[in-house]
Amino acid sequence: MSLLLSSEQTQKILSNPSFRELTAARARLRWGLSIVTLLMFFGFIGLISAASSALGKSMAGGAVPLGMAIALGMIALVVALTGYYVRRSNTYFDGLTQLVRRECGR
Amino acid sequence: MIMRILLAAIAATVSFSAHAQATPVVAGRDLNWVAIGMFLLIVAVTLLITYRSAGRTKSKADFYTAGHEITPLQNGLAIAGDFLSAAAFLGISALIYATGFDGLIYALGFLTGWPIVLFMMSERLRNLGSYTFADAASFRLDRTSVRLVAATGSLVVVLFYLIAQMIGAGKVIQLLFGVNYLFAVAGVGLLMIVYVAVGGMQATTWVQITKALLLLIGGTLMALVVLWRFDFSLGHLFAEASRVHPKGAAILSPGGLFAEPVSAISLGLALVFGTAGLPHILMRFFTVSDSAGARKSVFYATTCVAYFCLVIPLFGFAAMVVLMPDASFFNVGAGGQFNKITDLIGGPNMAAVHLAGALGGPILLGFISAVAFATILAVVAGLTLAGASAVSHDIYGQVIAKGNAPEAREVMVAKIAAVATGIVAVGLAIIFENQNVAFMAGLALSVAASCNFPVLAMAIFWRGTTTRGAVAGGLVGLFSSLLFVVLSKTVWVAVFHFAGPLFPYDNPALFSMPLAFLVIWLGSLSDRTARATAERRAFDAQFVQSEIGIGLSEGNNALAGVAR
Repeated sequence: MSLLLSSEQTQKILSNPSFRELTAARARLRWGLSIVTLLMFFGFIGLISAASSALGKSMAGGAVPLGMAIALGMIALVVALTGYYVRRSNTYFDGLTQLVRRECGR
Repeated sequence: MIMRILLAAIAATVSFSAHAQATPVVAGRDLNWVAIGMFLLIVAVTLLITYRSAGRTKSKADFYTAGHEITPLQNGLAIAGDFLSAAAFLGISALIYATGFDGLIYALGFLTGWPIVLFMMSERLRNLGSYTFADAASFRLDRTSVRLVAATGSLVVVLFYLIAQMIGAGKVIQLLFGVNYLFAVAGVGLLMIVYVAVGGMQATTWVQITKALLLLIGGTLMALVVLWRFDFSLGHLFAEASRVHPKGAAILSPGGLFAEPVSAISLGLALVFGTAGLPHILMRFFTVSDSAGARKSVFYATTCVAYFCLVIPLFGFAAMVVLMPDASFFNVGAGGQFNKITDLIGGPNMAAVHLAGALGGPILLGFISAVAFATILAVVAGLTLAGASAVSHDIYGQVIAKGNAPEAREVMVAKIAAVATGIVAVGLAIIFENQNVAFMAGLALSVAASCNFPVLAMAIFWRGTTTRGAVAGGLVGLFSSLLFVVLSKTVWVAVFHFAGPLFPYDNPALFSMPLAFLVIWLGSLSDRTARATAERRAFDAQFVQSEIGIGLSEGNNALAGVAR
């Protein structure tokens, strides 16, 4: 097995401050958003088994039952979360990636 | 009774064939010339696409990834076209028609996999691999054994998914166009073989884009017609639906399908993490030029899938209001009674199609039937390509030929594998025509979540993963999900006719997926070989490449470099 990068190159990049900033910030965002997504979906499933009848009631003044409204909110949230991740990557992570590549001479 | 309907509806969603009766030509009752015209047009357009792609399918990169030259928007549409099967379109609207709210939860599960794919998979996969997800899984691990496990997982997922889709396709086409099941299955098989073997990823991508656009147009058109019928008021729609549905207002709140938490969580895990392990979806990330493209394509795909999660419930609820009071949509018994769900002509899967006919006349009926047909074609083509790539790139190219196969020969093997995959799928679809295959699509998702996903995620994210752990965990995930499904109600009782299931839940993911992770962890932790030490040390280089994609700019030789 021979990898493309020599171990000196790898170590050089690993100790590069921009690279550390990039990977740390991206890891926080990745795991944070993943946890939000999973909590949202499995929390909803938990809510269903705990309080299913309450979800069928309409909210005050509205015609749409509470459970449906939550489901619609979740659909919107999924798009918003992916949109946020992509936007953050385009505006922040991509710039840092270019910086690391320049600094490490690639 | 309620349980029986629920089971039928679940079966309908996953394989959408269990209850399709062989009553040819739905709703229009005569040949629908709009449907047939559209159908012929779709066949002609897709064959033209294939013909034009044929000249551009010479190299491996062309065949597997359309030369990495697909744009993010095109790829996003193609991913949606790859993912939104007829089971999603017809099956989920049928599930909502039968159960109301519960069907919506199912749709949400399908959607929730996408952010996970984006955050964890798409960019890293693109940076680490070139053609299949096994590239990334075996980046720093033993390329023979890890690749074999990944390729086996891919082939199992592809084959079960493909058979389920083919049987469903045969029954739907039989119903829509009045063609004999045998001809329908063989016709779909022939088309998908031609797309893949002749046009490779280029043709497959454009077939999927065409389908996604048709589905977007058809879905929007129908949503507008439905909303117009109910004065753009969801309140009207829900009120009228709960008045006519046998379950009454209960359709507006969660019912039996997700009431039992263990089953609900298990199904949820399979839906969410299965998406992140589907080989035909993961493969699409290599068609764009870089990781930024992969990331953007997931956003476009997620938006499309989310849009369908919004419009498909409209069809299900509107179908209740429009179809249920009208006996002409049902197989009426001698005494004039009929079951408002199971006796729908063609089965509950036809709810959306009947609705199109009832609201928009033969033109909308024909259009929606043709959209359903295009939907089937795009999904089976994507699956066939993923299966062929697992055989030619992973097994032949990397395991047997050790990466030294001449390019032209590997492409030839891929084309032969595509033909073979298609023939096997058609054969099995004919053999299983009258079998209960409800378990197949569920099994495919469980294997994806319990074998492909854990191996890939652990190889990418955990430094400690070694070949021994990955191979053992992948195999345990694969065989435990197969075993649990065989012992569960859907096979042990429904297929083998035993009195009671030995495994009490329909979906094994809650057990098989953690088991796979556990075995990878233990198997790696206890691995004290020199190879394991080298593999852990190689994590640094893999980490750097997965984060900033070094090597990609140098002509996609990242993998070739590893393989040599």
